[in-house]
Amino acid sequence: MAEQATITRPLTSSKRHKNIALFWTFLLNPYCESLPPRPSDDEEKDEVRVDSNDPEEMFQNIQYQKEIIANIRTRPWPMRRKLRVLKQAREIVLKYEGRLTRTRGYQTAGADLLKKVSRVLYNVLVLFIPWEMRIKKIESHFGSGVASYFIFLRWLFGINIVLTIMTGAFIVLPELLAGAPFGTTRSKTIPKEQVSSAQDLDTIWSLGGYLQYSVLFYGYYGNVRKIGSAGYRLPLAYFLVGMAVFAYSFITLLRKMAKNSRLSLASASDENYTFCWRIFCAWDYLIGNPEAAESKGAAIVNNIREAIVEEQEKKKDTSLAVLISLRILANILVLLSLAGSIYIIYFVVDRSQKLEQQKAELTLWEKNEVSVVVSLITMIAPSAFELVAQLEMYHPRTSLRFQLARVLVLYLGNLYSLIIALLDKVNSMSSMNTFKRNWSNSTSYLATVSAETNLSTAVPEIAEVRNGTFTTAAVDLNHTAVDMKSAMSSGPPAPVLIVLNQTVLSGYNARSQQDQCWETYVGQEMLKLSIIDMIFTVASILLIDFIRGLVVRYLSDCCCWDLESKFPEYGEFKIAENVLHLIYNQGMIWMGAFFSPCLPAFNVLKLIGLMYLRSWAVLTCNVPHQQVFRASRSNNFYLSMLLFMLFLCMLPTIFAIVRYRPSQHCGPFSGQEKIYDIISETIDKDFPLWFSKVMSYVTSPVVVLPALLLLFMLIYYLQSIARSLKFTNSQLRLQLQSVIIIQRTRMPVFFSARLQSPEGGNKKPEQESDITSVESPARSTSPPRRNGTVTSFQSPAYHGNSIRTISQSASQAEARAGSALCSPSTPVRPKPRTEHASYLGGSSSSCRSKSYHHVAYSPSMRYTESVHSDPLFRKGLRPILAEPAIVAASGYMGRRAHATRYVIVNEHEPRKKIMRPGPRPSRHYRVLDEPAEIVELYPRNTKRYTVRPPHRSQPPHLSEEEEEEVAKNGGRRASFGQSHRPQSLSDLRQSARFYIGDTLDSRADPSLYGEQEDGDYAEQWVEEGSRSRSRVSLKTPEASQAHGEQHVKPKSKRKGEPSLTESDSASLASSSDQQNSSTDQYIQVIHNKEKYLKPNTKLTKKKPKTSGERNVPGANDLVCSKV
Amino acid sequence: RKEILRLFHRYRDLAPHLVPLDYTDQPDVRVPYEFIGSMPELKDNPFKQRIAEVFSEDGEGNMTLDDFLDMFSVLSEMAPRDLKAYYAFKIYDFNDDDFICKSDLEKTLNKLTRNELSKAEVDLVCKKVLNEADMDNNGRLSLEDFQNMIAKAPEFLSTFHIRI
Repeated sequence: MAEQATITRPLTSSKRHKNIALFWTFLLNPYCESLPPRPSDDEEKDEVRVDSNDPEEMFQNIQYQKEIIANIRTRPWPMRRKLRVLKQAREIVLKYEGRLTRTRGYQTAGADLLKKVSRVLYNVLVLFIPWEMRIKKIESHFGSGVASYFIFLRWLFGINIVLTIMTGAFIVLPELLAGAPFGTTRSKTIPKEQVSSAQDLDTIWSLGGYLQYSVLFYGYYGNVRKIGSAGYRLPLAYFLVGMAVFAYSFITLLRKMAKNSRLSLASASDENYTFCWRIFCAWDYLIGNPEAAESKGAAIVNNIREAIVEEQEKKKDTSLAVLISLRILANILVLLSLAGSIYIIYFVVDRSQKLEQQKAELTLWEKNEVSVVVSLITMIAPSAFELVAQLEMYHPRTSLRFQLARVLVLYLGNLYSLIIALLDKVNSMSSMNTFKRNWSNSTSYLATVSAETNLSTAVPEIAEVRNGTFTTAAVDLNHTAVDMKSAMSSGPPAPVLIVLNQTVLSGYNARSQQDQCWETYVGQEMLKLSIIDMIFTVASILLIDFIRGLVVRYLSDCCCWDLESKFPEYGEFKIAENVLHLIYNQGMIWMGAFFSPCLPAFNVLKLIGLMYLRSWAVLTCNVPHQQVFRASRSNNFYLSMLLFMLFLCMLPTIFAIVRYRPSQHCGPFSGQEKIYDIISETIDKDFPLWFSKVMSYVTSPVVVLPALLLLFMLIYYLQSIARSLKFTNSQLRLQLQSVIIIQRTRMPVFFSARLQSPEGGNKKPEQESDITSVESPARSTSPPRRNGTVTSFQSPAYHGNSIRTISQSASQAEARAGSALCSPSTPVRPKPRTEHASYLGGSSSSCRSKSYHHVAYSPSMRYTESVHSDPLFRKGLRPILAEPAIVAASGYMGRRAHATRYVIVNEHEPRKKIMRPGPRPSRHYRVLDEPAEIVELYPRNTKRYTVRPPHRSQPPHLSEEEEEEVAKNGGRRASFGQSHRPQSLSDLRQSARFYIGDTLDSRADPSLYGEQEDGDYAEQWVEEGSRSRSRVSLKTPEASQAHGEQHVKPKSKRKGEPSLTESDSASLASSSDQQNSSTDQYIQVIHNKEKYLKPNTKLTKKKPKTSGERNVPGANDLVCSKV
Repeated sequence: RKEILRLFHRYRDLAPHLVPLDYTDQPDVRVPYEFIGSMPELKDNPFKQRIAEVFSEDGEGNMTLDDFLDMFSVLSEMAPRDLKAYYAFKIYDFNDDDFICKSDLEKTLNKLTRNELSKAEVDLVCKKVLNEADMDNNGRLSLEDFQNMIAKAPEFLSTFHIRI
């Protein structure tokens, strides 16, 4: 915003205002200083800029103030300050809003009103979220993990509500309202011999009797195509709703999953912070219950121990034969138990089927055998698995995963074996039926009668016509089997015996026929299973949890050991198992929903009951599980399991729909060959001709196959896009990380500069005016200052000396070191430099030399100024001045750092005199640019790293600091060295750190200054750029001299080595120099980087000669990549 | 507004004899830490003292109503992640030097685990934490380090809030 200029009259008042505000800033929250963006600054600045006459601007201001009002909550200030700022902003808004045009005022008022209304609505909505308070209460007692179970439960409840509404509104209600009433058709009447027992409790209990002939089950629904006056097509609706149940479940699940994954996007596959998270995110601040806190504390300890163990495990991976054999044993056990459970279920279903055929009267146990057994298995097996899992001695998390997977498989196996057994039964039922029909057809006249009765009662007229003599009997037969018996006995004597035989059979058949509504049977079994499951859940909660809790609580006093902490303990709330149970339950519902439309409604009731009971049980007698499964992470885990379940539960239903013939006498699809025929029938009959034609085209292979292909292609395409996005994502993350690193390293300088600013300010008033450089007037001057001097020593030293004339460089460097130590005599230095520049012989060097003059002059002047002002600073600077000499002497050693520094100077030169703040942004630009550069280069870098070890071994000769750094780097690389990517990452970081070192060099003075004051930053810098440490530690020239002596040895070595491969390096140097000669600064920057890479390559070349050829193309590569 | 009122009542319930009902003339009332720390929401929190200290203006844990409101607004569900992270950082920064250094970490760990870990374990964990989160290798965590780390933690938002 360019409103700076528009500040007018109220400036004075606002200034006072600002002062007050600043005062508050310092008084109220001293820590505000540590806040990097300093929101307070722009805050108060912006508060000033309100007064103007331009309505647009004013409007913007008001908007801005409003923004402040809106965002005030997100500022980390104490409340008092917030209130104050808020008040001010409000005042301003109020004061100036009137000046705006009326419409704008209305607009804003309207927006406000809307916001308020929406907020109220939201509040009201929250009231209607079921069990919100209950869940929150649980959450506040037991933490978010336990609450996630209840939230999941609630979500399932929501789904079931929708399913219930769908089935209720489109199937059950129409049937009840418009369908044929109870008792009118055969499928809706209870058979006579059952009427007497239809109201018995055990009949009802086994869902027979009245329940069987009710809207609960498939069999009740009529097959009339249109019912009621409106012509509601019930069979079609039934089919469509059956499918829509699945479709809806799928869609909601997927949407929820997508939402979750979007939420957890930030945390995608970043496992770098295991320990941090375990510590800083471990405590659930919601916990407000001593017991929960206790167990949470224990869980945290476990967690941390576990992490430690894991860490130690990583180091020594001992694979014990015993352990492996144990695990194999455990897996065999689990498999055995799975197989056993499946076999038992199959066996039970089979037995119940036989029993049903053999005995007329079944005991209560026999009737409910199947579901009881299934429920028992689902209850017992998970604990058995848990026992087995203890045997395996896996890591707790892995064992939890195993446990979950096993339980899921068990549940699925149960459901599947059940449904398969049921379908098997259905199969045998229908095959028996057809067999009988055939058999009776083959017999004579009487047999046809029985066949007729067998076949269907829906066609009594035909039977009548065919068997004239038996009309009455046949009619009677049609009604009931019992009647038929009497009719038979009154018939002709001759065939009586046979007839009697037949009647027994057909009587039985007739009964079983009506039972043989297999869809109803399946629905019954599912509902029964669901009910029994509910009973078992309730029983287990009451018996196991509640009684146990009671016993533990009240008997703990009169027992010899501590019940609460030893054997029985309180029941734990196992989130994962319970969630799995919910999923299993839901799977049952999905499986049975087609055959029993009321199953979702029942499930709703069940879930409500479960909700209350569970929450009560959790609050009264449970403690949270020690091994807390991660709530947020598990969200999608649960959902994906649910999705899996849904898919697998859908399969049998679809299979049954497609494969089996619907029952002949009951249900909406009776009389059809296949259930899905209803669709084609509807299309044929109720739609215009063209539509069916179109449909036939669409469903023909000509269309379907290409469509499938297209789908596959689309999937492939999307997947490849996703893959590439993932790749870019990781790349961006790398980039971001390096940027963050660099920014972070900038921060301390920031602060130190800020500390300096009071002193630096009086020297450079002209800079203070500039906003951007306010925080670091000292920095913006001092780095170039030192840069200038330093580079004036150093750049010639390595350009000329180290490559071509080593001996000369040594001598000159020494001389220069002397001169540097005695005084900032700038004019002396440029000369030798120009000399050496002439060695290089490039036009660039000459032009550069000119600019160096500049640099060398101006900073030194300033230096003399500043020397007076702060002796500390001088102390810090002195060794720096001394050091370039050393650097020059030791040739390559310093090059890496100085190359960049030298660039900085280059960049500074043109703008130097004109504008102070210029250098800083440009440098940042460069620095920020670096990571990108490196990221692009990084394959090459890694390649180089593979070659580097020889080079790595070299630097220890260079200097001690270098050695340390290398050692550090080496250590890090060793730790990262396992995989490719971490390595490159460390690469990245490391190279970035070079830069840090460099920029640090350039800023060493401010940071040094800061170090004198609070010494905090010293450590940081020490580790970052070890070179800076040398400066920090060697504050006196004597020390630096000693330092220089240390370098003598490496230097001599150096001298020898370069000469060996002088030609090689010279060519490289020339190439780089040519590049350097281009006047564009930016390219120079890049080349410098390359140059600092190049020394490495050179160095590697020197020791192992063999890698020489390899490196040259590498360097060329680099050069090419730069252009 | 309702929330504020509720909070006020909670605040007042902590020390009915200290807090007046009438706040129109803005009395300078502080509820001492003993009362704050005995709130059921905070009672079992190992960091309750730190929380109180961080949010109180005097740094001693004695809170005014403003501080109290502040605390629960930060710890509410509505607060953005960065704000929460900032205050979490302050909570874990025991010695108020704007860095989480090793001693802070040790304190945090001991509070969390109720001194159940041995010295060696604590050391190891501290080293690991620094190794993981310390981006600039200065041996301690700055606010940026912390925020960076927290930003990637999936459960931070769900665990770092108090319901009242």
